[in-house]
Amino acid sequence: MNAPDRYERFVVPEGTKKVSYERDTKIVNAGSFTIEREDHTIGNILRMQLHRDPNVLFAGYKLPHPLQYKIIVRVHTANLSTPTQAYTQAINDLDKELENLKKAFEDEKIRYEERPKQGY
Amino acid sequence: MDRPASGVSYQRFPRVRIRELKDDYAKFELRDTDASMANALRRVMIAEVPTVAIDLVEIEVNSSVLNDEFIAHRLGLIPLTSAAAMNMRFSRDCDACDGDGSCEYCSVEFHLAARATDSDQTLEVTSNDLRSTDPKVCPVDQARAYQHALGGSEPYDTATAADQRGILIVKLRRGQELRLRAIARKGIGKDHAKWSPAATVTFMYEPEIRINEELMETLTLDEKQGLVESSPTKVFTIDPNTQQVVVEDAEAYTYDDEVIKKAEAMGKPGLIEINAKEDSFIFTVETTGAITAYELIMNAITVLRQKLDAVHLQDDDGDLGELGAHLVGG
Repeated sequence: MNAPDRYERFVVPEGTKKVSYERDTKIVNAGSFTIEREDHTIGNILRMQLHRDPNVLFAGYKLPHPLQYKIIVRVHTANLSTPTQAYTQAINDLDKELENLKKAFEDEKIRYEERPKQGY
Repeated sequence: MDRPASGVSYQRFPRVRIRELKDDYAKFELRDTDASMANALRRVMIAEVPTVAIDLVEIEVNSSVLNDEFIAHRLGLIPLTSAAAMNMRFSRDCDACDGDGSCEYCSVEFHLAARATDSDQTLEVTSNDLRSTDPKVCPVDQARAYQHALGGSEPYDTATAADQRGILIVKLRRGQELRLRAIARKGIGKDHAKWSPAATVTFMYEPEIRINEELMETLTLDEKQGLVESSPTKVFTIDPNTQQVVVEDAEAYTYDDEVIKKAEAMGKPGLIEINAKEDSFIFTVETTGAITAYELIMNAITVLRQKLDAVHLQDDDGDLGELGAHLVGG
């Protein structure tokens, strides 16, 4: 049978880069990131986080085809920043947010389990 | 527009409140973040948190009415306790073996042998007949029965007699036999749904309901009753003492707009206003039992962080590349 392996949907093939950046040929401070083997999960949080940065003039992502397991994130920034800076910052911010969320959950679990003892 | 220099952080600090937490069920509120984050967490919980499930079956004897692949498929769908899955290796990138399931880092072996002896009773082969070679990984109902036998002091004990019977695999008639060797491996829901630890993961926006009390005063009791009943779910009720329309359960609202249409039909637009709070979510998480609901949430956060880490720009195509490109003539 010629069915492709199921893991091809999420394992980056050897010799392929996970992320590649290509500058726009006409506009300064614009370009697109091609992220291999990712989907809406990463694409959408990245786009929304980029929107929080006032230096970002445009941020959007697309999944070009359901059978091409990659997304393209396009970023255009003002001249105080660059797409790569904005992109890196967005990822770092999201990572810190999740680190915080994890801590918040751990604390909340302790609080939740203490509650019955206090006679709520 | 004033723009700050780059390198400023736009990080958020989400808040969490757990409403209910059981072994396989959790309900919690997530605030101060946006729908993209809520949805990313939901998607990761369903499709990318790893568990262990039977993936390879070698059938030695099968004289049952079900064919080999049918039984192999049913075995795959049995949820196995997967607390150790996060620290296991995927068989495809395990270097201790060739992915044939003979190594402790990436696989667990199971054996099953059942034969209906010469009685007239049909023999039910269930998940309880599976023998694991690793006590950490076994069918979830076996694990629960074991807990029960140890003293059964689970805080969220919901085991009933029906749970003790195990998951039915096949029924054998007199003389029929089933004997096999199965290998369980780590995997994710994206690969095959049998690896998904989530039974359901949903989130809803928290509704914000405002009643225009001044306008409400102009309604008769019958009209109020009609308004309350226009909602297909029990969102509103009438206070028996004051005869005022009050919100009974805001979260029962399904964003169906029925009460708003009713208010308009009564000629009182603006009587009730309902908005979805865009930074506040109510999550419901149910697991298959492979991992606990709390583990599922924590693992989802860990997995999402790993994914974000993987999409970092590499040094060779990072800022230097950008700068270099500009120097050449950007």
